[in-house]
Amino acid sequence: MIDALWQNLDYAASVVLFCIGLYTVITRENLIKKFMGLNIMETAVFAFIVALGVVEGGDAPIAGSGAAPPFINPLPQALILTGIVVAVSTTALALSLIIRIWRQCGTIEADELREAE
Amino acid sequence: MKRALTAALLVAVAALLLAAVAELPPHGSPDSPPYTHVSAYYLEHGPDEAGAENMVTNVILNYRGFDTQGEVTVIVTAMLAVLAVLLWTGQAEGDQPGPAPAATGSSLVVRFIVRVMAPFIAVFGIYVILHGHVTPGGGFQGGTMIGALVIALTLVLEDTRSAALLPRRPARLLQVAAPLTFFGVGVIGLVLWGEYLYYPRDPSSLWITELLLLVVEAGIGLGGAIVIATIFRVMGAQR
Repeated sequence: MIDALWQNLDYAASVVLFCIGLYTVITRENLIKKFMGLNIMETAVFAFIVALGVVEGGDAPIAGSGAAPPFINPLPQALILTGIVVAVSTTALALSLIIRIWRQCGTIEADELREAE
Repeated sequence: MKRALTAALLVAVAALLLAAVAELPPHGSPDSPPYTHVSAYYLEHGPDEAGAENMVTNVILNYRGFDTQGEVTVIVTAMLAVLAVLLWTGQAEGDQPGPAPAATGSSLVVRFIVRVMAPFIAVFGIYVILHGHVTPGGGFQGGTMIGALVIALTLVLEDTRSAALLPRRPARLLQVAAPLTFFGVGVIGLVLWGEYLYYPRDPSSLWITELLLLVVEAGIGLGGAIVIATIFRVMGAQR
Protein backbone atom coordinates (compact mmCIF):
# COMPACT_ATOMS: atom_id res chain seq x y z
CA MET A 1 0.00 0.00 0.00
CA ILE A 2 2.91 2.36 0.73
CA ASP A 3 4.24 1.73 -2.78
CA ALA A 4 0.87 2.49 -4.32
CA LEU A 5 0.60 5.67 -2.24
CA TRP A 6 4.09 6.74 -3.30
CA GLN A 7 3.07 6.26 -6.92
CA ASN A 8 -0.07 8.33 -6.33
CA LEU A 9 1.65 11.03 -4.29
CA ASP A 10 -0.35 13.81 -5.98
CA TYR A 11 -3.62 12.23 -4.85
CA ALA A 12 -2.26 11.66 -1.34
CA ALA A 13 -1.28 15.34 -1.15
CA SER A 14 -4.84 16.39 -1.91
CA VAL A 15 -6.06 14.00 0.83
CA VAL A 16 -3.76 15.79 3.30
CA LEU A 17 -5.06 19.17 2.12
CA PHE A 18 -8.64 17.91 2.54
CA CYS A 19 -7.90 16.90 6.13
CA ILE A 20 -6.35 20.30 6.89
CA GLY A 21 -9.57 21.92 5.66
CA LEU A 22 -11.72 19.50 7.71
CA TYR A 23 -9.63 20.26 10.81
CA THR A 24 -10.18 23.99 10.29
CA VAL A 25 -13.92 23.53 9.88
CA ILE A 26 -14.19 21.48 13.08
CA THR A 27 -11.94 23.42 15.42
CA ARG A 28 -12.37 27.11 14.50
CA GLU A 29 -15.28 29.02 16.00
CA ASN A 30 -14.91 32.10 13.80
CA LEU A 31 -17.39 31.73 10.95
CA ILE A 32 -15.04 33.22 8.35
CA LYS A 33 -12.27 30.82 9.36
CA LYS A 34 -14.75 27.96 9.24
CA PHE A 35 -15.68 28.90 5.73
CA MET A 36 -12.06 29.26 4.68
CA GLY A 37 -11.62 25.68 5.91
CA LEU A 38 -14.46 24.66 3.63
CA ASN A 39 -12.68 26.47 0.78
CA ILE A 40 -9.48 24.53 1.53
CA MET A 41 -11.50 21.30 1.27
CA GLU A 42 -12.91 22.45 -2.08
CA THR A 43 -9.40 23.25 -3.31
CA ALA A 44 -8.27 19.77 -2.31
CA VAL A 45 -11.04 18.21 -4.39
CA PHE A 46 -10.20 20.45 -7.35
CA ALA A 47 -6.51 19.57 -7.15
CA PHE A 48 -7.38 15.87 -6.97
CA ILE A 49 -9.62 15.94 -10.04
CA VAL A 50 -7.17 18.00 -12.10
CA ALA A 51 -4.40 15.58 -11.11
CA LEU A 52 -6.57 12.74 -12.45
CA GLY A 53 -6.22 14.21 -15.92
CA VAL A 54 -2.42 14.34 -15.96
CA VAL A 55 -0.70 12.06 -18.48
CA GLU A 56 2.96 11.15 -18.24
CA GLY A 57 4.90 13.37 -20.65
CA GLY A 58 1.69 15.00 -21.88
CA ASP A 59 1.44 18.32 -23.70
CA ALA A 60 -1.02 21.09 -22.85
CA PRO A 61 -4.29 20.30 -24.67
CA ILE A 62 -3.91 23.05 -27.26
CA ALA A 63 -3.70 22.04 -30.91
CA GLY A 64 -1.70 24.02 -33.44
CA SER A 65 1.87 24.07 -34.62
CA GLY A 66 4.35 22.23 -32.43
CA ALA A 67 1.71 20.38 -30.42
CA ALA A 68 1.93 16.60 -30.42
CA PRO A 69 0.05 13.85 -28.58
CA PRO A 70 -0.18 12.70 -25.86
CA PHE A 71 -2.20 15.62 -24.54
CA ILE A 72 -3.26 16.25 -20.96
CA ASN A 73 -6.90 15.35 -20.44
CA PRO A 74 -8.94 18.56 -21.06
CA LEU A 75 -12.15 17.29 -19.48
CA PRO A 76 -11.19 17.54 -15.77
CA GLN A 77 -9.78 21.02 -16.36
CA ALA A 78 -13.03 22.18 -17.96
CA LEU A 79 -15.15 20.62 -15.20
CA ILE A 80 -12.99 22.16 -12.48
CA LEU A 81 -13.24 25.58 -14.09
CA THR A 82 -17.00 25.23 -13.58
CA GLY A 83 -16.38 24.05 -10.03
CA ILE A 84 -14.16 27.01 -9.21
CA VAL A 85 -16.76 29.47 -10.46
CA VAL A 86 -19.46 27.84 -8.35
CA ALA A 87 -17.10 27.86 -5.34
CA VAL A 88 -16.54 31.58 -5.82
CA SER A 89 -20.30 32.15 -5.97
CA THR A 90 -20.97 30.19 -2.77
CA THR A 91 -18.08 31.98 -1.03
CA ALA A 92 -19.53 35.36 -1.96
CA LEU A 93 -22.96 34.37 -0.68
CA ALA A 94 -21.58 32.91 2.57
CA LEU A 95 -19.44 35.97 3.26
CA SER A 96 -22.42 38.26 2.71
CA LEU A 97 -24.47 36.16 5.17
CA ILE A 98 -21.62 36.47 7.68
CA ILE A 99 -21.60 40.25 7.20
CA ARG A 100 -25.33 40.19 7.89
CA ILE A 101 -24.79 38.16 11.08
CA TRP A 102 -22.11 40.62 12.18
CA ARG A 103 -24.48 43.56 11.69
CA GLN A 104 -27.33 41.80 13.49
CA CYS A 105 -25.48 40.23 16.42
CA GLY A 106 -22.15 42.03 16.64
CA THR A 107 -20.19 38.78 16.67
CA ILE A 108 -19.27 35.99 14.24
CA GLU A 109 -17.91 33.50 16.78
CA ALA A 110 -20.06 30.36 16.58
CA ASP A 111 -19.90 29.62 20.33
CA GLU A 112 -20.92 33.16 21.32
CA LEU A 113 -23.78 33.00 18.83
CA ARG A 114 -24.92 29.72 20.35
CA GLU A 115 -24.94 31.28 23.84
CA ALA A 116 -26.83 34.32 22.62
CA GLU A 117 -29.69 32.18 21.32
CA MET B 1 -12.08 14.89 25.09
CA LYS B 2 -13.11 17.09 22.19
CA ARG B 3 -9.55 17.10 20.91
CA ALA B 4 -9.33 13.32 21.03
CA LEU B 5 -12.60 13.03 19.11
CA THR B 6 -11.40 15.48 16.46
CA ALA B 7 -8.10 13.63 16.06
CA ALA B 8 -9.89 10.28 15.81
CA LEU B 9 -12.26 11.63 13.16
CA LEU B 10 -9.43 13.14 11.12
CA VAL B 11 -7.37 9.95 11.27
CA ALA B 12 -10.39 7.88 10.23
CA VAL B 13 -11.20 10.17 7.27
CA ALA B 14 -7.55 10.32 6.19
CA ALA B 15 -7.09 6.53 6.42
CA LEU B 16 -10.26 5.90 4.41
CA LEU B 17 -9.30 8.38 1.70
CA LEU B 18 -5.68 7.23 1.51
CA ALA B 19 -6.80 3.61 1.19
CA ALA B 20 -9.10 4.61 -1.67
CA VAL B 21 -6.40 6.71 -3.34
CA ALA B 22 -3.90 3.84 -3.18
CA GLU B 23 -6.31 1.70 -5.23
CA LEU B 24 -6.49 4.19 -8.12
CA PRO B 25 -4.55 3.59 -11.33
CA PRO B 26 -1.01 5.03 -11.15
CA HIS B 27 -0.80 8.79 -11.49
CA GLY B 28 -0.14 9.87 -15.09
CA SER B 29 -0.82 6.55 -16.78
CA PRO B 30 -2.46 6.96 -20.21
CA ASP B 31 -4.65 3.89 -19.56
CA SER B 32 -6.56 5.36 -16.64
CA PRO B 33 -10.35 5.41 -17.22
CA PRO B 34 -10.78 9.23 -17.27
CA TYR B 35 -8.49 9.36 -20.28
CA THR B 36 -9.76 6.53 -22.42
CA HIS B 37 -13.44 7.31 -22.92
CA VAL B 38 -14.96 10.63 -23.93
CA SER B 39 -11.72 12.63 -23.62
CA ALA B 40 -10.12 10.61 -26.38
CA TYR B 41 -12.91 11.70 -28.72
CA TYR B 42 -12.55 15.36 -27.70
CA LEU B 43 -8.79 15.27 -28.22
CA GLU B 44 -9.08 13.61 -31.61
CA HIS B 45 -11.94 15.59 -33.15
CA GLY B 46 -11.99 18.79 -31.10
CA PRO B 47 -9.72 20.98 -33.22
CA ASP B 48 -11.47 20.00 -36.47
CA GLU B 49 -15.10 20.34 -35.50
CA ALA B 50 -15.43 22.53 -32.39
CA GLY B 51 -13.82 25.74 -33.58
CA ALA B 52 -11.05 26.40 -31.04
CA GLU B 53 -7.49 25.17 -30.82
CA ASN B 54 -7.62 25.18 -27.03
CA MET B 55 -9.49 21.97 -26.25
CA VAL B 56 -10.49 23.14 -22.78
CA THR B 57 -12.34 26.01 -24.47
CA ASN B 58 -13.91 23.50 -26.86
CA VAL B 59 -15.21 21.43 -23.97
CA ILE B 60 -16.46 24.42 -21.97
CA LEU B 61 -18.16 26.41 -24.72
CA ASN B 62 -19.03 23.89 -27.40
CA TYR B 63 -19.37 20.29 -26.19
CA ARG B 64 -20.64 21.30 -22.75
CA GLY B 65 -22.16 24.67 -23.56
CA PHE B 66 -25.36 23.97 -21.63
CA ASP B 67 -23.31 23.34 -18.49
CA THR B 68 -21.50 26.63 -18.89
CA GLN B 69 -24.73 28.51 -19.47
CA GLY B 70 -25.98 27.15 -16.16
CA GLU B 71 -22.69 28.18 -14.59
CA VAL B 72 -22.91 31.82 -15.66
CA THR B 73 -26.50 31.82 -14.40
CA VAL B 74 -25.15 30.61 -11.04
CA ILE B 75 -22.79 33.60 -10.80
CA VAL B 76 -25.55 36.06 -11.56
CA THR B 77 -27.87 34.34 -9.08
CA ALA B 78 -25.16 34.47 -6.41
CA MET B 79 -24.71 38.18 -7.06
CA LEU B 80 -28.47 38.75 -6.75
CA ALA B 81 -28.51 36.79 -3.50
CA VAL B 82 -25.62 38.87 -2.13
CA LEU B 83 -27.46 42.06 -3.05
CA ALA B 84 -30.64 40.77 -1.42
CA VAL B 85 -28.85 39.73 1.79
CA LEU B 86 -26.83 42.91 2.22
CA LEU B 87 -29.23 45.56 0.98
CA TRP B 88 -32.40 44.16 2.56
CA THR B 89 -33.56 46.54 5.26
CA GLY B 90 -36.83 44.94 6.33
CA GLN B 91 -36.20 45.13 10.11
CA ALA B 92 -33.81 48.02 10.23
CA GLU B 93 -34.82 49.01 13.76
CA GLY B 94 -34.05 45.53 15.13
CA ASP B 95 -30.52 45.56 13.76
CA GLN B 96 -27.78 46.23 16.25
CA PRO B 97 -24.89 47.36 14.12
CA GLY B 98 -21.55 45.96 15.15
CA PRO B 99 -18.64 48.29 15.76
CA ALA B 100 -17.87 50.29 12.62
CA PRO B 101 -14.60 49.27 10.92
CA ALA B 102 -11.83 51.82 11.28
CA ALA B 103 -11.44 53.90 8.13
CA THR B 104 -7.90 53.64 6.85
CA GLY B 105 -6.62 55.16 3.64
CA SER B 106 -4.24 53.12 1.53
CA SER B 107 -0.57 54.02 1.59
CA LEU B 108 1.17 56.10 -1.05
CA VAL B 109 3.10 53.06 -2.31
CA VAL B 110 -0.09 51.07 -2.92
CA ARG B 111 -1.78 53.99 -4.65
CA PHE B 112 1.19 54.59 -6.93
CA ILE B 113 1.73 50.93 -7.85
CA VAL B 114 -1.95 50.33 -8.63
CA ARG B 115 -2.09 53.41 -10.83
CA VAL B 116 1.06 52.40 -12.74
CA MET B 117 -0.03 48.79 -13.18
CA ALA B 118 -3.69 49.42 -14.07
CA PRO B 119 -3.31 49.78 -17.87
CA PHE B 120 -1.09 46.70 -18.09
CA ILE B 121 -3.50 44.61 -16.04
CA ALA B 122 -6.37 45.80 -18.25
CA VAL B 123 -4.53 44.92 -21.47
CA PHE B 124 -3.53 41.51 -20.13
CA GLY B 125 -7.09 40.79 -19.00
CA ILE B 126 -8.50 41.68 -22.41
CA TYR B 127 -5.81 39.58 -24.08
CA VAL B 128 -6.66 36.57 -21.94
CA ILE B 129 -10.37 36.95 -22.76
CA LEU B 130 -9.94 37.35 -26.51
CA HIS B 131 -7.20 34.72 -26.90
CA GLY B 132 -8.98 32.06 -24.85
CA HIS B 133 -9.43 29.84 -27.90
CA VAL B 134 -5.73 29.62 -28.85
CA THR B 135 -3.88 30.07 -25.54
CA PRO B 136 -4.62 29.09 -21.95
CA GLY B 137 -7.30 31.40 -20.62
CA GLY B 138 -10.79 32.47 -21.56
CA GLY B 139 -13.73 34.50 -20.42
CA PHE B 140 -13.76 33.51 -16.76
CA GLN B 141 -10.03 33.96 -16.21
CA GLY B 142 -9.77 37.28 -18.02
CA GLY B 143 -13.00 38.51 -16.46
CA THR B 144 -11.61 37.79 -13.01
CA MET B 145 -8.54 39.88 -13.84
CA ILE B 146 -10.64 42.83 -14.98
CA GLY B 147 -12.83 42.48 -11.91
CA ALA B 148 -9.75 42.43 -9.65
CA LEU B 149 -8.51 45.55 -11.42
CA VAL B 150 -11.78 47.36 -10.71
CA ILE B 151 -11.54 46.25 -7.06
CA ALA B 152 -7.95 47.50 -6.77
CA LEU B 153 -8.90 50.85 -8.28
CA THR B 154 -11.90 51.11 -5.95
CA LEU B 155 -9.52 50.67 -3.02
CA VAL B 156 -7.12 53.44 -4.02
CA LEU B 157 -9.31 56.06 -5.69
CA GLU B 158 -11.51 58.56 -3.87
CA ASP B 159 -15.15 57.54 -3.52
CA THR B 160 -16.50 59.89 -6.18
CA ARG B 161 -14.00 58.82 -8.80
CA SER B 162 -14.36 55.10 -8.13
CA ALA B 163 -18.14 55.47 -8.43
CA ALA B 164 -17.58 56.89 -11.91
CA LEU B 165 -15.54 53.76 -12.70
CA LEU B 166 -18.64 51.61 -12.60
CA PRO B 167 -21.70 53.79 -13.26
CA ARG B 168 -24.87 52.35 -11.81
CA ARG B 169 -27.10 52.07 -14.86
CA PRO B 170 -24.70 50.50 -17.40
CA ALA B 171 -23.43 48.21 -14.63
CA ARG B 172 -26.95 46.94 -14.04
CA LEU B 173 -27.20 45.89 -17.69
CA LEU B 174 -23.68 44.48 -17.88
CA GLN B 175 -24.17 42.31 -14.77
CA VAL B 176 -26.34 39.96 -16.83
CA ALA B 177 -24.11 40.17 -19.93
CA ALA B 178 -22.90 36.56 -19.62
CA PRO B 179 -26.28 34.76 -19.56
CA LEU B 180 -27.65 37.18 -22.14
CA THR B 181 -24.79 36.48 -24.58
CA PHE B 182 -25.29 32.76 -24.12
CA PHE B 183 -29.00 33.16 -24.74
CA GLY B 184 -28.38 35.27 -27.84
CA VAL B 185 -25.89 32.82 -29.33
CA GLY B 186 -28.20 29.93 -28.44
CA VAL B 187 -31.11 31.60 -30.24
CA ILE B 188 -28.90 32.26 -33.28
CA GLY B 189 -28.26 28.51 -33.42
CA LEU B 190 -31.98 27.84 -32.96
CA VAL B 191 -32.97 30.14 -35.81
CA LEU B 192 -30.26 29.22 -38.32
CA TRP B 193 -29.73 25.51 -37.66
CA GLY B 194 -32.74 24.44 -35.62
CA GLU B 195 -30.94 23.57 -32.38
CA TYR B 196 -30.43 25.71 -29.30
CA LEU B 197 -26.73 26.52 -28.73
CA TYR B 198 -25.71 24.75 -31.94
CA TYR B 199 -22.40 25.50 -33.61
CA PRO B 200 -21.74 24.41 -37.24
CA ARG B 201 -19.24 21.57 -37.47
CA ASP B 202 -18.20 21.21 -41.10
CA PRO B 203 -14.75 22.65 -41.88
CA SER B 204 -16.06 25.19 -44.42
CA SER B 205 -18.15 27.07 -41.84
CA LEU B 206 -15.78 26.65 -38.91
CA TRP B 207 -15.08 30.38 -38.93
CA ILE B 208 -18.71 31.01 -37.88
CA THR B 209 -18.15 28.75 -34.88
CA GLU B 210 -14.96 30.59 -33.99
CA LEU B 211 -16.76 33.93 -34.21
CA LEU B 212 -19.63 32.73 -32.01
CA LEU B 213 -17.18 31.33 -29.44
CA LEU B 214 -15.37 34.68 -29.38
CA VAL B 215 -18.64 36.52 -28.75
CA VAL B 216 -19.50 34.16 -25.90
CA GLU B 217 -16.02 34.55 -24.37
CA ALA B 218 -16.30 38.33 -24.49
CA GLY B 219 -19.75 38.22 -22.89
CA ILE B 220 -18.57 35.89 -20.11
CA GLY B 221 -15.52 38.07 -19.46
CA LEU B 222 -17.47 41.33 -19.30
CA GLY B 223 -20.31 39.89 -17.22
CA GLY B 224 -17.97 38.08 -14.81
CA ALA B 225 -15.86 41.18 -14.24
CA ILE B 226 -18.87 43.36 -13.46
CA VAL B 227 -20.40 40.72 -11.18
CA ILE B 228 -17.19 40.42 -9.12
CA ALA B 229 -16.82 44.19 -8.88
CA THR B 230 -20.47 44.55 -7.83
CA ILE B 231 -20.18 41.90 -5.11
CA PHE B 232 -17.10 43.62 -3.71
CA ARG B 233 -18.72 47.04 -3.83
CA VAL B 234 -21.85 45.88 -2.00
CA MET B 235 -19.78 44.14 0.68
CA GLY B 236 -17.65 47.21 1.24
CA ALA B 237 -20.54 49.67 1.31
CA GLN B 238 -21.45 51.26 4.64
CA ARG B 239 -25.12 50.92 5.37
